[in-house]
Amino acid sequence: MSPSVRLQELIRVIRSARTQCEERGVIQRECAAIREQFRQNDNGGRSHNLAKLLYVHMLGYPAHFGQMECVRLIASPRYSEKRIGYLGAMMLLDEKQDASLLITNSIKNDLSHSSQYVQSLALCTLACMGSAEMCRDLAPEIERLLKASNSYIKKKATLCAVHIIRKVPELGEMFTPSAHSLLSEKNHGVLHGAVVLITELCERNTQTLDNFRKAVPELVQIMKGLVMSGYSPEHNVAGISDPFLQVRILRLLRILGRNNDRASDAMNDLLAQVATNTDSTKTAGSAVLYETVLTVMDIRSESGLRVLAVNILGRFLLNNDRNIRYISMTSLLKIVQTDHNAVQRHRGTIVDCLKDQDASVQRRALELSLALVSSVNIRSLMKELLLFLSTCPPELRAHAASGIFIAAEKYAPSQRWHIDTILHVLTTAGSDVRDETVPNLIQLITSASELHCYTVHKLYRALVTDISQQPLVQVACWCIGEYGDLLLKGDCEETEPVQVTEDDVLDALETVLQSHMSSPATRAFALTATMKLSTRITENVDRIRSIVSIYGSCIDVELQQRAVEYNALFRKYDHMRAAVLERMPVIDKGQTNGEMSANNIKDLEQTDVKIPEVPLPSNQLCLEVCDLLDLLGGSEEPLQPSQAPPSSVPTPSSTGTGQDLLDLLGGVCPAPVPVVTGVTVYEKNGLTVTLQCDQRTETSVTVSLLASNSTDSDITSFSLQAAVPKSVQLQMKAPSGDVVPAHGAGQVTQTVILMNPNKVNLKMRVRVSYSSQGSFCQDTAQIDSFPTTAWS
Amino acid sequence: MYGSSMRFLLLFSRQGKLRLQKWFTPLPERERKKIVRDMTTLVLARKPRTCNFLHWKDLKIVYKRYASLYFCCALEEQENELLALEILHRYVELLDKYFGNVCELDIIFNFEKAYFILDEFLMGGEVQETSKQSIANSIEASDMLQETMEEYMSKPAF
Repeated sequence: MSPSVRLQELIRVIRSARTQCEERGVIQRECAAIREQFRQNDNGGRSHNLAKLLYVHMLGYPAHFGQMECVRLIASPRYSEKRIGYLGAMMLLDEKQDASLLITNSIKNDLSHSSQYVQSLALCTLACMGSAEMCRDLAPEIERLLKASNSYIKKKATLCAVHIIRKVPELGEMFTPSAHSLLSEKNHGVLHGAVVLITELCERNTQTLDNFRKAVPELVQIMKGLVMSGYSPEHNVAGISDPFLQVRILRLLRILGRNNDRASDAMNDLLAQVATNTDSTKTAGSAVLYETVLTVMDIRSESGLRVLAVNILGRFLLNNDRNIRYISMTSLLKIVQTDHNAVQRHRGTIVDCLKDQDASVQRRALELSLALVSSVNIRSLMKELLLFLSTCPPELRAHAASGIFIAAEKYAPSQRWHIDTILHVLTTAGSDVRDETVPNLIQLITSASELHCYTVHKLYRALVTDISQQPLVQVACWCIGEYGDLLLKGDCEETEPVQVTEDDVLDALETVLQSHMSSPATRAFALTATMKLSTRITENVDRIRSIVSIYGSCIDVELQQRAVEYNALFRKYDHMRAAVLERMPVIDKGQTNGEMSANNIKDLEQTDVKIPEVPLPSNQLCLEVCDLLDLLGGSEEPLQPSQAPPSSVPTPSSTGTGQDLLDLLGGVCPAPVPVVTGVTVYEKNGLTVTLQCDQRTETSVTVSLLASNSTDSDITSFSLQAAVPKSVQLQMKAPSGDVVPAHGAGQVTQTVILMNPNKVNLKMRVRVSYSSQGSFCQDTAQIDSFPTTAWS
Repeated sequence: MYGSSMRFLLLFSRQGKLRLQKWFTPLPERERKKIVRDMTTLVLARKPRTCNFLHWKDLKIVYKRYASLYFCCALEEQENELLALEILHRYVELLDKYFGNVCELDIIFNFEKAYFILDEFLMGGEVQETSKQSIANSIEASDMLQETMEEYMSKPAF
């Protein structure tokens, strides 16, 4: 058996081990020796050995075999053994171990020990790892000690009581009576403990809280004493008398004054006094002031006091100490909504903090700045924010960009400013913006019709400078495609005149198409833009034709499809090309998920373009619109417009507002009863449309839509349009007619085939248009689930 | 719901070696080890001119470096971070007064004393005594009690 090594010697040996392996070896040998000695009940070196074990435990090695030794040492009459035994208990035992129960009796005995230092050990350990059971057991003892005459023990008993209440809240009642009387103690330790105890009691029981409100004057007095007292060497920290106690009292006052006018009144003067008299040059004073501010803002304080509090925070912003600036901004953020004007006064300082070195300070400054944007300061504040965007750390860029967009949208003083701001963001932080920025910006551009020329010039310039920022490139391509004629005209009042030739423009678009930096979506934008230019330029149409035909064999399926369709537009359907590619109307700004209003659909309808049932360019046009505006809304994929039955115009189906949707199937209980007669999809004004499932395979569904009319007069010009999720293909067969006879005399039927290769959740939106009794009606119905067939 | 103002207090070196751990809430051993790893990683990664506060899960972490030791504590959401800095500072002062110009080695070789001092200053995650002198007196008296007993039993001290 290796000789026992002194603790410090062991530590030295362990530290001098050159490798982890060596260290492990030393420790394992020593632990084995210790274990052996524990077993031998060696009287001499027990505390010694436990101390060594505790050291080894801190290094991360297992020490569970020392648990029983702790129990034994705690029961020893010797103070040195008790001391290390209790320390071991706090480090190795927690309430989950069985051994912890075994020390309950020792603790109970030691609580009544003649030496206060032994009592102290017991109290400390109970407050550290006492289980609920131990707490219940020993609570009466603690309550007795609360009334003991010795302040050393009283202060510890008080905090022990706090622990007991946290573990067993019902025991709070036991300590409530004594708690109040403790406030008259002079000893700061006891006083501090008393305040903590009362706080704990009040936080857990509203009745207790109500009761303790009568202690407010007493607490105010104590605070006053601390603030106004002269220098007290025992408790002084940087000129503040006992900041720990002051902060706890302020916190308790906050809880008591919350939602209570009387209590808040009673503490108003004191808070003003603390706020004015406390020296904040050092952290201690700032801590007290900080707590004061928190209290003022949380209780029902007078407006003058609130302004004072906000000004303290403003002063904090100018403090050299970074911690204090950080604290100040966190607090200002919490109150910026409720005390907006007060915080606005400090906007300058807040904006300066955008340049701080510390990223967490910068982040808070950014959030505050965004919260402070108003129509009054938008121009100047935006300059600062854009500057920040170009220099801020990368992790803050996305947040800054989206914050800027929101602010710009709310308070833009002019459309041109708005467009400029968005362009600035796209050039600075284009890769960090969200996806919906592109459609949002396009929508904004279309609505600023006087600025089309200016916008397209600016975007063209940005494009030729840098094609790496995808959102910017996408918007630029779209604009060039759409307003290329304005670009080529050259003269634009708002920018310097620059001569752009058709070749220049096509060069730019081709560069985007060929660049490896361009994402597939971007290339799609570029290709479509190129195509659109075929009706806007005069000389180089052949060049466009050749570009388009090259991409007809592109490996990217999306590009290939587009190119093939554009090719068709050049050849077989050349007579329609001009109409198809003409200028788009203003896109209406929908809700956040981009739903379009019904009016818009009328605008987008291409008048009298009759196309047989082959999916085509108009689809393409609509597809673009669908790319931009998420018609189905929310997380669903954008809809593909239906293929046209001969007599009607292909348009994307409109989505009405939520209230228009007759979600009839939504309320239906999903008991799959095969229904041959079909499900009613729409029923209004006497017109009923039902859906009947004819055939269903894993990847396709064939349904029939049947319309019948129960009114006295015929329904005419009846037509159905349908839209489905993106990966689903729709084929609408020709309807049987467009007149639904009165009195249910006959039905109009139309077969619809849905091809669902990806087996997504099938949904369909149906738009019903008809004339009834002299008025034209249009309605939408949503089908979320398809009924089973008669045979399934 | 058990919540103490301070959830835990850790001391670790610049190499991430743990020198003291005080837990004010019951946690299984595995959980404690993970927290220690997380804290050392987070705090040691902080750049020089950053503030002494950071967020971790639902807690506020306050840390300060004194020579080669990091003092790190975790607070509940509503606690006063500036006061926590004062608490850490007070603890360092207590150690300094006891050991005389305390350095990391003192705490390594006399870790149990560091705990005894801490247990006179904090209890259940709360400040127990706000007078430095009072704490110094208690520690001195306890040490004397130990020595007296040791002398009496004629056994060597650790």
